[in-house]
Amino acid sequence: MYRWVEHTGELELSIEAPTETGVFAEALAALSQILGEEPGGEMARRELALSASDPPALLAEWLNELIFLAETESFVPEHVAELEISHSALHAVVEGRRGESPPLIKAVTYHKLELTEEDGSWRGRVVLDV
Amino acid sequence: MTSELRQIDEVLWEIPASARPDMRVPARVFADRELLEAIKGDRSLEQLENVATLPGIVEAALAMPDIHQGYGFPVGGVAATQVPDGVVSPGGVGYDINCGVRLLALSLDEEGLGERREALVHEISRAIPAGTGKHGALRFRGEELDRVLVDGPHALVALGIGTDDDLEHTESSGCLPGADPAAVSERALSRGEGQVGTVGSGNHFIELQRVERILDAAAAEAFGLHEGQVTILIHSGSRGLGHQVCTDYVKLMDAAIARYEIHLPDRQLACAPQSSPEGEAYLAAMAAAANYAWANRHAMAHLVREAIGRILGKETAQATRQVYDVAHNVAKIEEHNGRRVCVHRKGATRAFPAGSPDIPADYRAVGQPVFIPGSMGTSSFVLAGAPGSMERSFGTTCHGAGRRLSRHAATRQIQGAELRRQLEAQGIVVRCPSNRGLAEEAPFAYKDVERVVDVVARAGLARPVAQLRPLGVVKG
Repeated sequence: MYRWVEHTGELELSIEAPTETGVFAEALAALSQILGEEPGGEMARRELALSASDPPALLAEWLNELIFLAETESFVPEHVAELEISHSALHAVVEGRRGESPPLIKAVTYHKLELTEEDGSWRGRVVLDV
Repeated sequence: MTSELRQIDEVLWEIPASARPDMRVPARVFADRELLEAIKGDRSLEQLENVATLPGIVEAALAMPDIHQGYGFPVGGVAATQVPDGVVSPGGVGYDINCGVRLLALSLDEEGLGERREALVHEISRAIPAGTGKHGALRFRGEELDRVLVDGPHALVALGIGTDDDLEHTESSGCLPGADPAAVSERALSRGEGQVGTVGSGNHFIELQRVERILDAAAAEAFGLHEGQVTILIHSGSRGLGHQVCTDYVKLMDAAIARYEIHLPDRQLACAPQSSPEGEAYLAAMAAAANYAWANRHAMAHLVREAIGRILGKETAQATRQVYDVAHNVAKIEEHNGRRVCVHRKGATRAFPAGSPDIPADYRAVGQPVFIPGSMGTSSFVLAGAPGSMERSFGTTCHGAGRRLSRHAATRQIQGAELRRQLEAQGIVVRCPSNRGLAEEAPFAYKDVERVVDVVARAGLARPVAQLRPLGVVKG
């Protein structure tokens, strides 16, 4: 589950999921909600291999990569077909569509960046610069 | 936190360094009581306190009256760190490096524009692509792109785009020294290839305006502005290239802070000493992105002039003069109060006073032009830098009205289509690719720009020169 938290200047995304991969999948779903405002275009797949200094930074890296693909390849992500996370690296196959994404997100910040597990539940938090 | 806020004078408030054990200097806010109450409504003061913890920060962490919650630094935040070993923080400049504004003054009045107003706004919207990632007609790759990064708009003038007079009337002549394309990642370069001459998204815009009121006759005359005149304000930045430079260096410095034994209350404040390999590389990459942003606004101005030529005729296009261009998000090495410092301006404008050798000769008697956009549907202001800025704010003033409501809150209160109708009912022509994007920038989402301008005038940071009323807007 994800929700957008009130933030005066930017967009703050809060995520809860039963697993770590679930947080990443929900983050993609949230991004898809914004980038996929006008659906259409042919189906496309992208394979991603990413690494970062720690798990929260990997969550930021994940979203940054999807924003980069949207901007440079007009790839609008729709869902995760495969996702494996090991320590601070991931391998994923993402399915989506080629198409125009609405103008919004510039980058993923490290402000209030969070990815934690507590009592078997995972929480993620990301602030996006818009 | 805010309970320790104390009043210094009628428009200056201070949180003492003793408020938190990690603060190295006080945090100061320029505001009147009403703006201060609005500022207390989000976490911007906490963010300003965080800025006051940066190693090497001098005098105070400052906030302009348009301050609002951002990420790391608040938007409207200013911090000067000592040279050479104080830190530089990419987050203290922001993702949109050298986001800024450029004002063009046309040779005709609103009456002369007449019924061609809508056609002109439409033609500008056709000429300049809007939206994140949108590519324009100009494409620079390889060595050509490197020249843009090193020389900024000078590289475009060499190609016959724009004039030397435009360069002279640009902050730092549109070119920060020390820019190094080798410090810019391949990924950033790829994002920058096709975005020179594009407006981007968010709060970026091109606004057609009328000079509604002259507030300082001598300065207005020096800036070439008179009542009734048509002006065009361009707001954009370094686009995807700048976003990627910031992303790359926040990541690099986040990994390096332990090595420099830097402890931060917010990861987005990631920083390194200016003299460190990471600091030097960031300053070289940031300068390259800043130069790219000036080239972007320079190209946009050229495209605007071409649109003017098609609608109003070649003579009007050729007579369209650039008043000035200022940066909002940048870190610059400057001398203040007898020492060299690295001034981070995050959503704040340089505002050097009369007599400064760093402003164009024809403005030196009145001070550097500063442009304070309001919001769609409200006035913008032209100001001139005043001596108080050098004494109190590292030569800085505000950059806009400042957000009051979140984007979600704005879209809950009005739909884009309804806002479009309201603006058009006020006689403002609107071109915007996204109804949601339009609603997010609704005028009521912003603070009262007149109050913000009043505060910087009372604080002696800048003085009002002219009020501009919107006639049409092309929104990113």
